[in-house]
Amino acid sequence: MISTGMNSVDDMLGGGIPQGGRVLYSMEPGVNGQLFMVSSLCRALAQNLSCLVILPGTTVEAYRHDLLTMKTGFIDLSSDKIVFIDAIDRERIQKSSPGPDSAQLEWKARIAKVCGERKIDVIFAYFDLLSEEFGIECGLDILEQGDDVLKPTLILEHLNLEGEPLISRFIHDFSFDVVISIKSSFKPLPHFDYFTLVHTPGSPQPVRSVPFVTAEGRIIPYIPRIVVTGPAQSGKSTFVTSASIEGMPVDRVGLDGDLTTESMDLGMLQSKGFDITIYGTPGQPRFDLLIPGMLKHTMGVILMVDATKPQLLPQAKEMIGLLAEHSVPMVIAANKNDLPGTMEEKDIRAALGIKADIPIFFISATRKDDVRHVVESLVNSITQIPY
Amino acid sequence: MYSYKTGIEQIDQLSGGFEAGTNILILAPPMSYADQLAYALTKPVTGEYAIILSTNERAAEVVDFFKVAGSDKRFIGVIDAITKSSTPSIVDTPRLKFVSSPTDLTGIGIKFSNIIEAIFEGEFSDGEAGLFPPPIRFCVNSVSTLLMYRKLEVLYQFLHVLTAKLKKIEGVGIYILNSESFDDKTLSLIKQLMNCVIEIKIDQDISYLRIQGIRGINSNWQKFSVNKGQVTILP
Repeated sequence: MISTGMNSVDDMLGGGIPQGGRVLYSMEPGVNGQLFMVSSLCRALAQNLSCLVILPGTTVEAYRHDLLTMKTGFIDLSSDKIVFIDAIDRERIQKSSPGPDSAQLEWKARIAKVCGERKIDVIFAYFDLLSEEFGIECGLDILEQGDDVLKPTLILEHLNLEGEPLISRFIHDFSFDVVISIKSSFKPLPHFDYFTLVHTPGSPQPVRSVPFVTAEGRIIPYIPRIVVTGPAQSGKSTFVTSASIEGMPVDRVGLDGDLTTESMDLGMLQSKGFDITIYGTPGQPRFDLLIPGMLKHTMGVILMVDATKPQLLPQAKEMIGLLAEHSVPMVIAANKNDLPGTMEEKDIRAALGIKADIPIFFISATRKDDVRHVVESLVNSITQIPY
Repeated sequence: MYSYKTGIEQIDQLSGGFEAGTNILILAPPMSYADQLAYALTKPVTGEYAIILSTNERAAEVVDFFKVAGSDKRFIGVIDAITKSSTPSIVDTPRLKFVSSPTDLTGIGIKFSNIIEAIFEGEFSDGEAGLFPPPIRFCVNSVSTLLMYRKLEVLYQFLHVLTAKLKKIEGVGIYILNSESFDDKTLSLIKQLMNCVIEIKIDQDISYLRIQGIRGINSNWQKFSVNKGQVTILP
């Protein structure tokens, strides 16, 4: 397996890219997704693999500076593990070839020569100009090298101006093993980028979409808002505190002597390779007016209920009604299962009026493992929502 | 809906200017000062922003034009597609972005999105606030050069995405195309993406323009001149 350079993607691919496989990073115009290819290149070099990088639209020097501005860390482009065919080579091929057929042969011969001499493990190709000049099929034929046993892995970046039909061609007509589509959307957030694992090797898996940001030269899968809500005293603040690597509960002592949240809890956490910001709503009914605003751009909801207090479930049911308008993934955390008198799952489902597709987890919000399990389940659901 | 003033008195009085979401093609022969007209129409009024994709001039030259025309350079963004080929080490600034060549549609798309995002997030103009939602004028100088590097079908699809984005953010787009270097199929395909076409011709050293697609504006040939970013329709 060859790593993509992104741990969360490797996990979803079952460890990485199969040796000798074909990978496509399909980019929608305007999406800042160039780090995908670059991350894979960096990791391949770190794994001491021999890489051929084909840059028909730019020079090595300009590419070097682009990498520097992406802050990917040090990449030794003069290493004997990396070799380039760039825009200057393309110009030479164009000038020396009387027609497209001979240009195609010249490209193929050059790449074969490099692959043979340098024992290339991975070919990284910026594919736009090759596909435009020769068509997708012939462009891919140029890049196809070696026999089945010694075939280099092929990783392409391509600007997708045709949408889903083009992706479908790469999967069905050209047998790509991994297709990752990189796009942007205006919902549920005003603007965010996300990638979708459209096609993975082996058995068919559900299509998964993952929001991301780029920072410090890497792709960071990112969920900007998960909301923890539920009736008062159900354990929301404890949950946010247990889930967070840093954060701030804002509890005050209530009239009954218990702590109660007076605005909203906020925490940052990491789960399954994601950076996540988590918000806890205040439980007191007088703050109910704030909740719709907090739900506006949320990507997932954890509804906390106190599994020992059936009398609070009608209030939780009202909240489910409110959440239904937002069509975002939701899980139920039935808290305080370490206390006596915990209700059974079927009773909670009946009281809340929810079906089996919404999972219920019996937890104690003081136990970090329980909390982590709930968050991971929600992240799993969020990545299966099409944007 | 926001209206973008053209700066041409006769047009602004009759129509109020360009409606938000309008894409305008300037169809002109070489040496007809089409870029001067395009830049004049792109010049932002107070509170507006302008983005210029330049395939013919360096970013500094583009900014100079707007400075001479009286624009505040903090509201001007440039995507320069030529400088990087000779100066690979040139570095982006918040308002000046560089792509390796006019072939690099991926880079152009990303830099365009970067500038738009910076404008919407209020991080573009050194703390100076424009209007919100931000009115944005976008100019491509020129489609002709892009067509020299990329196939018509590819460029059509790319411009289709760009024009759609501009409509979504309620900006206006101004695109220059040489009317003499391309066949009818090319002209007709590019026109399909536009809601307004301004044709230019030169006759005995006098410049004429003809506007099609703005309600209330006659589509006859009219004499005009451009000076320091100001377009004047002559009697």
